[in-house]
Amino acid sequence: MVGPALPTAPAKSPQSITETGSTLLFPLMGSWATDYQKLYTPSGGTPTVTITTGGTGSGTGITDASTGTVNIGASDAYLSSAQKSETPGLMNIALAISGQQISYNVPGVKKLNLDAATLTKIYTGKITNWNDPAIKAINPGASLPNLKIVTLHRADSSGDTFLFTSYLNAQDPAGWPAANVNTTISWPSVSGSLAETGNSGMVAGCAANKGCIAYIGISYLQKTEAAGLGEAFVKNGSGKFLQPTPATIKAGAAAFTSKTPASETISMINGPAPRGYAIINYEYAIVNTKQSNGPQAQDIRAFLHWIVHEGQDATTYLDPVDFQPLPSSVVTQSDAQIAKIGS
Amino acid sequence: MAASASELRPEGEAGHGPPPRRLGISFGGDRAVRWVGFVFALLPAGGLLAVLAVLAVEAIPAIKLNGWGFFTHSVWNQGGGYNAVIVKTGGVAHLAGSQFGILAEIVGTLLTSAIALLIAVPVSVGAALVIVERLPRRLASLVGAFLELLAGVPSVVIGLWGVLTFGPFIAHDIAPWIARNFPDIPVLSYFTGSTGNGQGLLVSSLVLAVMVIPIVAATSRDLIRQVPILPREGAQALGMSDFETARRVTLPWVGSGIVGAVVLGLGRALGETIAVAMTCGFALGEIPGNLYGAMTTIAATIVNELDSAFGDASKFSVRSLAELALVLMVITLATNVVARLLVRRVSGTALPVGRGL
Repeated sequence: MVGPALPTAPAKSPQSITETGSTLLFPLMGSWATDYQKLYTPSGGTPTVTITTGGTGSGTGITDASTGTVNIGASDAYLSSAQKSETPGLMNIALAISGQQISYNVPGVKKLNLDAATLTKIYTGKITNWNDPAIKAINPGASLPNLKIVTLHRADSSGDTFLFTSYLNAQDPAGWPAANVNTTISWPSVSGSLAETGNSGMVAGCAANKGCIAYIGISYLQKTEAAGLGEAFVKNGSGKFLQPTPATIKAGAAAFTSKTPASETISMINGPAPRGYAIINYEYAIVNTKQSNGPQAQDIRAFLHWIVHEGQDATTYLDPVDFQPLPSSVVTQSDAQIAKIGS
Repeated sequence: MAASASELRPEGEAGHGPPPRRLGISFGGDRAVRWVGFVFALLPAGGLLAVLAVLAVEAIPAIKLNGWGFFTHSVWNQGGGYNAVIVKTGGVAHLAGSQFGILAEIVGTLLTSAIALLIAVPVSVGAALVIVERLPRRLASLVGAFLELLAGVPSVVIGLWGVLTFGPFIAHDIAPWIARNFPDIPVLSYFTGSTGNGQGLLVSSLVLAVMVIPIVAATSRDLIRQVPILPREGAQALGMSDFETARRVTLPWVGSGIVGAVVLGLGRALGETIAVAMTCGFALGEIPGNLYGAMTTIAATIVNELDSAFGDASKFSVRSLAELALVLMVITLATNVVARLLVRRVSGTALPVGRGL
């Protein structure tokens, strides 16, 4: 399956690899890097490969990778067409599958259905109270309190903002125009809305404000549960309301597996799978095909190859952050891209 | 050679007797020392000019394309969506559909600083008067020491306190009371309405006030100390009350110096970044509708938008941020120059201007 171009071990001479980018991927990248480094450290000796990681945000990760400041940029969003045309050598290599939950803090509401049309109205200030008829209409039988909605969005540049606005635009293009799909946007003015920094800021902000609604990366699931936040059932492309679970995220991604192009640039939002969750994405490594020297390029290839194989282990790596492994055909596509990294 | 050295340093001893050898180290003669000193002396000025120049070069395309519209509207949009293509307008590359306006940032910056000063100035000048004229010497130096300690607290610490403790306290216990008791008439209605959730204009301004108070108070205290005792005693002998003495004798004596101290505090407030970024609610492009609304300032926008701007392949977002930074730099440099001029007019001695900055 894997050609000889793809090394499974780092170069003999000690090299160091740098990674910056997505804060969502940062904890996982850290454990991958630590374990990989250990593999190639002779007992009592110095590591053959040193990997430093940094959680700087996806935008910085992409820029750093394109300017050559770092070897690997981590991003929740694939490269935009403008980024690709500026730096044609950049690739986005899928490393894992992530999802996004819609969290809420409404006392007494155990189950909440939401769709993009309703979320658009909430985030544009057309719906301001949880007992609004439009919310009741998709939640028959639920007793919704008379409580003001506090909308939370990210203050910093975020792949999560990109995913959330992509979902709103995919289901409700009239209410949420494509111009408002990005990693940061000018949010419509909504009274009492709050901007938070980072996923942890969203969790804390939502826990502190009754009536809150927030979009939070799936890797923070354990923290949102600990904070007592509800996890909404989100309407998918075939009209079903589902929570993000390992099964629904896998099913959602499966519908896109055969459609994933060789470049792995694909939006998996609002998919057609009946049992598939609607807001899912590939987590990417952004790497330039041209690295500064051969041994370093070999190390990057070996490290990324290890991530899409050994690094997919659920119990050690993916389960703690509620990510899902890549389907085997996507692993092959990632390997094909990894093989292109040279010097 | 020696003669020119003494001309350069009139108060030095180079021209008298044997050259001083206090350091006991030879740098290879006077000439080398002078050149090294010359270079070191010019470094700060060179640094400032370099920053300005680099910023200006980075910002020029943005200045050209954004034009005056940069200052007249509040839409900050990198481009028409994630997959917008790069287009060129007037030779400047940017993402199709991009729009950059900083009216809200300018209003937010001026508004937070103005409210902060409105609160900080009376408190600071009052504190300075009391420290110099009323408190026993030991207590005065203790209070003064605390003021200087407050000036030294890193702004990120104050920001964290603002987010975790102070903001919620204002939002739950203070703001609702103010909002209830102000009449719904023009101007004053700005104090009414939704009291938000602890991040916004009022909390940011109060956090700034906490940071401005030590600067204004410490500088005012040092200024008031210089007012001779005789005129003050004279005023008291004429039957003036303490308040009248302060208003008619002490404060006029150092009046423009205190204005300088206030402008110095203003400079701090205008440029303060992290504490405001943490407490302003970061509503990009939004001018707060009332005293409690979420908003943003120039500095907060730069720090919050940088990562996103890096994602813009045309680099035009970064250039627009550079233009924003240039605007902030011009504003703060201007206030700083004014402050220094005003403080210097009062006294020829080297005042501890900028202590705590």
